[in-house]
Amino acid sequence: MSSHAASSTPLKVALVEDDTAFQEAFRTALAGAPDLAMIGVAATAAEARVMLSAPPADVLVVDLGLPDGSGIEIIGEATTRWPGCAIMVATTFADERHVIASIEAGASGYLLKDSPLPTIAQDIRVLHGGGSPISPRIARQVLMRFRPDERPAEGGETEGKSAPSLSDREKETLQLITRGFSFDEIAELMGVSRNTVLTFVRRIYAKLEVRSKTEAVFEARAYGLV
Amino acid sequence: MASSRRRWIAWAAWAVIAIVAFGGMLAIQGRGGERITDAQMTAVATVGYQPPPATSAGRPQGGAHVHLPHAPTPLWAPRAHAAPEALDTQITWYSLQVPPLPNRGQQLYLYIPRWKSDGVLAIYADGKLIRQSHANLQWNGSNQPLWIALPRTATSHPPTTLDIRLQHVRGIGGAFSSVWIGDYRQLAPRYSVRDIFQVRLPAFSTVAFLATGVFALFVWFSRRAERIYLLYFLTSVVCFLRMLHTFVGTEPLIVSDAWFGWLTVNSTFWMILALHLFVAELHRVRQPRLTGVILVIGGGWSIATLPNLLDPTMIAAPIYVNMLVLGLGATFNGIRQSLRAGSHFALLLSTWCLVTVVAGVYDLALQQNMVDIESVYLTNFTGVGFTLLFWYIMLSRYIEALATATEAKADLAQRLVQREAELTASHARLREIENRELLHQERQRLMQDMHDGLGSTLVTALRAFENDRATNLDAVDILRGCIDDLKLTIDSMEPVETDLLLLLATLRFRLQPRLEAAGVKLLWSVGEAPPLEWLDQRHALHILRILQEAFANILKHAGAREIAVAVRVEGDQVVVRVQDDGRGFDPARSSGGRGLANQRRRAEAIGGVIRWEPSGQGSILALILPVQKPQRAIAIRT
Repeated sequence: MSSHAASSTPLKVALVEDDTAFQEAFRTALAGAPDLAMIGVAATAAEARVMLSAPPADVLVVDLGLPDGSGIEIIGEATTRWPGCAIMVATTFADERHVIASIEAGASGYLLKDSPLPTIAQDIRVLHGGGSPISPRIARQVLMRFRPDERPAEGGETEGKSAPSLSDREKETLQLITRGFSFDEIAELMGVSRNTVLTFVRRIYAKLEVRSKTEAVFEARAYGLV
Repeated sequence: MASSRRRWIAWAAWAVIAIVAFGGMLAIQGRGGERITDAQMTAVATVGYQPPPATSAGRPQGGAHVHLPHAPTPLWAPRAHAAPEALDTQITWYSLQVPPLPNRGQQLYLYIPRWKSDGVLAIYADGKLIRQSHANLQWNGSNQPLWIALPRTATSHPPTTLDIRLQHVRGIGGAFSSVWIGDYRQLAPRYSVRDIFQVRLPAFSTVAFLATGVFALFVWFSRRAERIYLLYFLTSVVCFLRMLHTFVGTEPLIVSDAWFGWLTVNSTFWMILALHLFVAELHRVRQPRLTGVILVIGGGWSIATLPNLLDPTMIAAPIYVNMLVLGLGATFNGIRQSLRAGSHFALLLSTWCLVTVVAGVYDLALQQNMVDIESVYLTNFTGVGFTLLFWYIMLSRYIEALATATEAKADLAQRLVQREAELTASHARLREIENRELLHQERQRLMQDMHDGLGSTLVTALRAFENDRATNLDAVDILRGCIDDLKLTIDSMEPVETDLLLLLATLRFRLQPRLEAAGVKLLWSVGEAPPLEWLDQRHALHILRILQEAFANILKHAGAREIAVAVRVEGDQVVVRVQDDGRGFDPARSSGGRGLANQRRRAEAIGGVIRWEPSGQGSILALILPVQKPQRAIAIRT
């Protein structure tokens, strides 16, 4: 998965962050990683939108608290403008509310702002390679969102695609995460490779995003907006 | 305006009724028919009763010329004899000449308004028996006017003579009214009007009264406290008994003359008693003495006139006099009490009682042949008045009850709404208080946490930097510790919903980077844990801090390579064990007292126990938590 680390073309990384201290730390972290190249920094939502009209980056890191708007909107716009780009939200606490909102908007991971600099670089690589971090609380929250009794199955069926549901393996993965097991331990417990577990998580995030969008359409229809 | 209009309508209605009645009377008078008022009367003394002969041939000739209606003055108390066959009786014959009538071949009728036989009646046309009373001897429906179709086969038509034979107790009875003869068109209206007003109306009225009385009885069955319903029923029963003799008797009665006389005469006393009690129930003034007097007199007569004692039929007149006096007394008393109590209904009834007593005087006079015997008994009509009055009273009570029920319902609904609003308000108030209390607790909790953890660490670091001992400190480590503290605080603000494993997972998620940095391996063996109902945010933070401290101690002092975290259910407890393979330590001798004391205090606050268990290598910290809600934790706030 970390084949990019050795590749000749470095990963293009863009940052949306108004805090200059973190910008600085981020730059430093990338400077120490020859396989990662900083291609742009935006300090406001407006700047970020300008940046999104430029050629896409491979990884976009977005802070949620921007002076002129929410990072969630930027994430949402980035998923359409830069479809191939992996988006991660920069957060201090990885609290499930912000992270899940970001994932629903299209992010596929989060970056802990207080991580040591090498960890930041490593996290970017892992994300680009298909691995998504997940905390036990986020796992719990996702499980609750996908609880079958929470929503009748009618949503989206008229469109021919219903809101996605979790497979048994995905549910099992989430349950093990809520009990504190690491990816390696889960892989061993489930008898699969670590990579498979990472794929599960990435797929779960994707389903969460689709589900949230279907739900938005569903709700909009319920309110007579569509 | 509306009431004056209504009054006008009422007056108009009365006027119409009066005009119709007057017109009807004139019409009836104009119908014609022959009225025979002259008769020859003879009387023969007899003993006991003999059946009337088939012809009137044996009647004594001659006799005195009398004018019909004829009524001999009766004795007030004739000599009575127990056995009817030994009774002093008398046969009174009336012989009437029928005026010549045109024989147009039509059916002729006799109409006799009143006959007061007090015995047996037989009527002969041209000497042949055409009608005889064949019911009881004395109580034989003599209140009912006679309507006789003259038979055409056995007699000449129209007849020329009519003979009337009355065998009756010597000293009473033997009175006879004038006799009408004519065709149906001429006589039927006269007969019908008299029959309706004299017999049927009182009968219908008293039966209807009795029917409503039965209804009242059933009301009383379910509302025993309201005696008025029982009294209503009893009044209707005695009124019915009293009125019976006015409309039965043309056929043989199921009881003997003796018993029927007893019922008829004494029921007047019972009526007085029932009415007195009913009126008292209305004006709500009990009069035990008057009630007693009525009971003694009425009861006395009722016992004295039982069959085989005094014959009530013979001495009806003195009894009625006594009853009138008693009734008058009770009536005046009723009027006085009604006025005093201001009871509208009681006054109405009492006034009607007075009217009835006056009518009773007239009826007594009629009974004693002191007034024209062709007139009618007035108390029959006052009886109808009683029926109407009682209905009016009951109707008013019913309407009043309905109004009260409606009012009560509206009142209840209003009170319900009010109570609901109060409840909602009080509920909102309670929730507000609860919320405030929750906020307060949460603030306290966070403040305590900041004070013990982050605050104290930062202050320590600050002092160290101030004293230029910064070189001895790992500033990054201190700050990371602070951020970890903060993260756990934030974690504790999200609900864990009784899930201990999720809480431990969160802790691992937070501590894993530091453990990895320190090169310590974590063995994670958590199995199942039951939901801990008591595990709220406050308790969650305590658990996080206890274990955080344990990890910090291991990292700082033990020099361990491996930490194992295990969760097990042991009986009604859940045990979290943190075992390391480091140097180990004896908590009893340990000088790092503050951390341990904090751990103990926190464990105690959540109703748990913290214990250091012996181990071959390193140390084992066991946090023992109850599955059920800890009792002490309620009292101890952080």
